[in-house]
Amino acid sequence: MGKMKKKMNKSMKRAASILLSAALALGLLAGCQSGGVSEGQSAGNVDSTGNSGMDSDSVIIAMDPNSEPEAGFDPAYGWGAGEHVHEPLIQSTLTVTNTDLTIGYDLATDYNVSEDGMTWTVTIRDDVSFTDGEPLTAEDVAFTYNTVKETSSVNDLTMLDYAEAQNDTTVIFHMTRPFSIWAYTMAIVGIIPEHAYDSATYGSDPVGSGRYILKQWDRGQQVILEANPDYYGEAPRMQQVTILFMEEDAAFLAAQAGQVDVAYTSATYSDQEMEGYSLAAYESVDNRGFNLPAVSESTNGEGKAVGNDFTSDVLARRAINIGVDRQEMIDNVLNGYGSPAYSVCDQLPWYNETSEVEYDPEGAAALLDQAGWTMGEDSVREKDGVKAELNLLYSTGDSVRQALTADFAAQMEELGISCTLEGVGWDTAYDRALSDPLLWGWGAHTPMELYNIYHTIEGTDSAEYSPYSNPAVDEYMDQALASSSLEESYELWKLAQWDGTTGVTQEGDIPWVWLVNIDHLYWVRDGLQVADQKIHPHGHGWSLVNNVDQWSWS
Amino acid sequence: MRLCENEQQKRRDEGGTGRNRKMRIPRVKEPNRRKSTIFFLFAAVLFLAAVTVAGILLEGRAAETDFTRTNLAPGPGCLFGTDWMGRDMFARTLAGLSLSIRIGILTAAVSAVIALLAGTAAAVLGRKADAVISWCIDLVMGIPHILLVMLISIACGRGFTGVVAGVALSHWCSLARVIRGEVIQLCQAPYILVAEKLGASKLQNVRRHMIPHLLPQFLTGLILLFPHAILHEASVTFLGFGLSSEQPAIGVILSESMQYLTTGRWWLALFPGISLALTVLLFAILGERLRLLLDPASIHE
Repeated sequence: MGKMKKKMNKSMKRAASILLSAALALGLLAGCQSGGVSEGQSAGNVDSTGNSGMDSDSVIIAMDPNSEPEAGFDPAYGWGAGEHVHEPLIQSTLTVTNTDLTIGYDLATDYNVSEDGMTWTVTIRDDVSFTDGEPLTAEDVAFTYNTVKETSSVNDLTMLDYAEAQNDTTVIFHMTRPFSIWAYTMAIVGIIPEHAYDSATYGSDPVGSGRYILKQWDRGQQVILEANPDYYGEAPRMQQVTILFMEEDAAFLAAQAGQVDVAYTSATYSDQEMEGYSLAAYESVDNRGFNLPAVSESTNGEGKAVGNDFTSDVLARRAINIGVDRQEMIDNVLNGYGSPAYSVCDQLPWYNETSEVEYDPEGAAALLDQAGWTMGEDSVREKDGVKAELNLLYSTGDSVRQALTADFAAQMEELGISCTLEGVGWDTAYDRALSDPLLWGWGAHTPMELYNIYHTIEGTDSAEYSPYSNPAVDEYMDQALASSSLEESYELWKLAQWDGTTGVTQEGDIPWVWLVNIDHLYWVRDGLQVADQKIHPHGHGWSLVNNVDQWSWS
Repeated sequence: MRLCENEQQKRRDEGGTGRNRKMRIPRVKEPNRRKSTIFFLFAAVLFLAAVTVAGILLEGRAAETDFTRTNLAPGPGCLFGTDWMGRDMFARTLAGLSLSIRIGILTAAVSAVIALLAGTAAAVLGRKADAVISWCIDLVMGIPHILLVMLISIACGRGFTGVVAGVALSHWCSLARVIRGEVIQLCQAPYILVAEKLGASKLQNVRRHMIPHLLPQFLTGLILLFPHAILHEASVTFLGFGLSSEQPAIGVILSESMQYLTTGRWWLALFPGISLALTVLLFAILGERLRLLLDPASIHE
């Protein structure tokens, strides 16, 4: 008896230990949760020592941890540029993008380009100083551009040969090829001081001439910006801007606890109510769309699968484009916070309105029938023994993209296209997208994006992200880059999308299907007047604070 | 107390009829542990098999999205509620458990075979082999399991292959050690030495004397590998280094539910979490009971 009891105890102990470890595993999950929250709280406390959020000239903003610049606030290493373009705040730029995304001036007073497009001459203000007191001259501008070109980290300056200062207020850019949209590049390159630049320390201790000075940066936690008292333009109304980096749920809880004035959020939380805050939705060109490989299946030289037998049929691609109900997707997945997307650049000055299509499921079915994709008995279309199948890829861990993909798949099933879903990491996604549709997110304040997506890469027969090539489209974009004025180039960018006979829209090749533009959502404390936003580009981060100097409390 | 009284009563009765009769503990009073254990084993296996099969059958339903019924709390229509894409959490939980159990079976089997081979090789192939294998065991045991699983999983390209390789290649050590010890001990056991002297062939020895001894150890070790394998599979998937997010794995379900907890959707984590814990517990008890049943030392209890 005694022995048995002992055994039983032992077995119960073991069972208990397993139970405890299971509980521990669950606790671990909860731990992640509370960890994020307490981080937010501690960060919030730091602020409460200096100023509470209700001070009339300071604001606390919760941002995605991915928004924290890894290499610091150094324009040579991507600050302000890259995938998520925004104004560098700490540094000045030569030009700026206006709210309608035309070009305005910051440091520059004038610019012009030579007839052949190979030389840009920019004159700059003579009354600007860096925050260390040294004047900002054309030498600094030239130094900046040459440095950025040399580091070539995120910002692509391959079209620049070199920059030189003609005198204190004139800088000349010598190009390697005509680049009519150079003004958009000038809008995101922050000017760094030649006399005080050390690539090892500048990122964490930047000296600029912009609206704000970096006062404090606690890596992984927060950034505190203070208004530049000697700013040459209109004095910033917000004297202090604190940016906390926290996960979405932590940001939500921080707002609930009243620790932040603005917290980023997503459609997931948009059905919640929060006392003292309202939900602000800002229009964006932060679009989501699938690439549709436009060539048949094969294997390329590196042994990667390229092309897709179903989407290589242009009629199938057109059917997909009109067979998807974008508004339903917005209502289902985005809780209504979004707008239908028809191109990578909706509403920007270079957008061609003919991209827009009506939702027409019957038309889509007719197109598929016409192309020979006839409905099989299992409600999946097939043609010559090939099934109409799509393996839809999405970046794993992004719940909005996953839901969009699921909704898209459900809509395609109704058309008789069988779909499977697969979550992939970005380490493999680029290669996989050569043969399977991947849900991408794009949207930038430069027409270069059209070029990056649709233009054939030199020396190959395909565009970069998805197999596609159309010489006519390439030609328009090359002309656009070579044109002498921005207005003229806008027209050529539009023609590249659709010129009446060919292009990348519904009646053209439609190598990408664009689904939705996602509104950027924020919880904003009542009384905070967030200045008018220009249409947000891809990336739910620094764009919001482009004009934080004009925000105010009422 | 009651039992004692009864027994005393019985003894008195027996005393009256005949002293030579052997005293026996009556069966009715002492439930047969062996029988109940077998019954329990049977029920547990049946239950786990049912979960596995149901999960496989429900896989289609688990992936089905329906945006007209998103974020429903648990109720009569959906036992475990629905998630942000309107997927039925009950189907997802069952499919997840099923996947976990199948991965558990696969990885535990692979691990156990590795352990058997490594353990036996270490014991019979001489000193050098023993040193090498023991060193390997120490090495693998020296690295925290979860870390090792993650590393192997990433190296094998994540996904199903990654998880299976990761879990299978990291869980064999303790069982290998047990088997090694057992085989060394057996080889020195007098009755085996005697059998050898009597001319029994090696094969005969292995078959008649070694396997009956090793089998219970091996089977118990195999089944006790399950809980670890399943938990590690779920954790590594939860952390994003395991199964892909379109698969209805418990780890995926739990990690997805995290971002909805702050908005009060408790059911997304609670039910799958409890189900996972229960499954793991069931396996643990199963292994323990099986050991009691097979272990020669306790076989008559």
